Amino acid sequence: MADHTPPPPPSETARAVLTVALGLYLVGLALCVAGHSSSGSSALVRTIHGRLFAPWMTLPWLDLGYDTRLTHAAPEDGDHSFELRRLDAPAASETVVLPGPTMRGERAARWRRLARATAVSEANPDREALLPAAVGAGAFGPWSTSDVSLSVIRHLPPDRSDVLSGQADVAGRRDRAYAARVRNVGGEVQLITSTLRNELAPLVKEPTR
Amino acid sequence: MNATPRVLAAEPTLADVIGGTWMRFWFTPVGPWPLALVRVLGGLLALALWASYAWDLETWFGPAGMIAPALLTAWRSPFAVSLFDFATSPAALWLGYVAGGLVLLAVTIGLATPVTSVLGAIAFTTLLHRGPMLVGPADDVVAVILWCLAIGRSGDALSVDRLIGNWRGRPEPTASFRTRIALGLLAVHASVIAAAAVLAQLKGDVWWNGTAAWWLAARADSPLVDLTGIFLRAEYLMNLVTHAIVVFEMLFAAGLWFLTVRRVIVPVGLVAWPLIGVIAGEPLWGLAMAVLALGCLPARIESTT
Repeated sequence: MADHTPPPPPSETARAVLTVALGLYLVGLALCVAGHSSSGSSALVRTIHGRLFAPWMTLPWLDLGYDTRLTHAAPEDGDHSFELRRLDAPAASETVVLPGPTMRGERAARWRRLARATAVSEANPDREALLPAAVGAGAFGPWSTSDVSLSVIRHLPPDRSDVLSGQADVAGRRDRAYAARVRNVGGEVQLITSTLRNELAPLVKEPTR
Repeated sequence: MNATPRVLAAEPTLADVIGGTWMRFWFTPVGPWPLALVRVLGGLLALALWASYAWDLETWFGPAGMIAPALLTAWRSPFAVSLFDFATSPAALWLGYVAGGLVLLAVTIGLATPVTSVLGAIAFTTLLHRGPMLVGPADDVVAVILWCLAIGRSGDALSVDRLIGNWRGRPEPTASFRTRIALGLLAVHASVIAAAAVLAQLKGDVWWNGTAAWWLAARADSPLVDLTGIFLRAEYLMNLVTHAIVVFEMLFAAGLWFLTVRRVIVPVGLVAWPLIGVIAGEPLWGLAMAVLALGCLPARIESTT
């Protein structure tokens, strides 16, 4: 027959040790959330978090801000995808879109995150060009090629009022957030970025005299 | 006249109240069922997330893959490392991946749980560190759930371990304070994650002007259901959905700490979190949050075996 007597509580010493451990963890959790805020963090929080808590909370994947904003209607909140084209073959037959139309669920979501990270990381000097070169070079093997064009396509949802007034389609529009040519020359991966049309300065005509 | 001496009970000080609440919250032993349920459902979610890497494992992490370990120095903290960094051949990569999947399966069915629950958490987080740019909010929440399973005695019920114990005539497991700590940590994280999410959302105008639901629904690929037609016709409904998400997340984050509110908000969360996940195009995140909520069910938390 099962013994239903309540178990003894942990000893005084065990409770004291666990209280200190839990207290430390809760402070660490609060500092991780504060230290990863998209609004930035103070030097004090950064220092305490970085020196005392990040070293042991990073490895178990607990050094996070959990700031799941879902959307702010910013361009980077739209869905992103890759468009890879082989440059040493007829273009139409060798274009691959990732995630492809048959990909579903979390697998497709991971490709979208990679595409978004590729576009967004170009604004970070420490990460610039790393992912585009890596993703482009990743296509060399499967395609047996050494020259591809890589684009990150960004979907921009339409404003609801524009759809209602007929100025925009509910499907929204897609623009090229990033484009580059990635090629392998003598074992070295080269990245030639394309200047996107929306990044060009407007042409100013000389006034006629 | 003789005055009768009266023994006055000392009024509890604020420190007594706080200390007593702390001790009750963290150290009151609880039965194994709530955490066992979290283990089964959290394990299934972890398996689903783990499986989502299978098709592209070599494309991403293989020797000639897109995400080489050298690239990760710009993405990872210097304190981060992944066991998959050392898988330098496709065979080693697949060996680690299959082994990790089997460990997570063992966690889900409750086989050798004291060992596999720790190994499962290590395997899962080491895969996340291998490709941090692929990680989504569901991964973050499931990592928390797996560590909590490793802390508590999650294999004491609904498990192969328990079946083996019954077969060998071992006594029923008693209530455990380790399980209580695990459930307490699940509740803390549920509250913190909901609070952090709502704070992040409220930095954007669309969560104030009531159009966030439209911007979520109008994305091209993420949404599981097309709500654009409904939101085009019914502006108030779109506003209501937007505000309801924010209000629910606020109530969930704060209400977990008040028993009367918790009795309502947690069951609501079991339905609301998956719905938010569907609207936001992050269904596994919604389900993971519901599993966190499951660990906060008042009747279960208070019960002792």
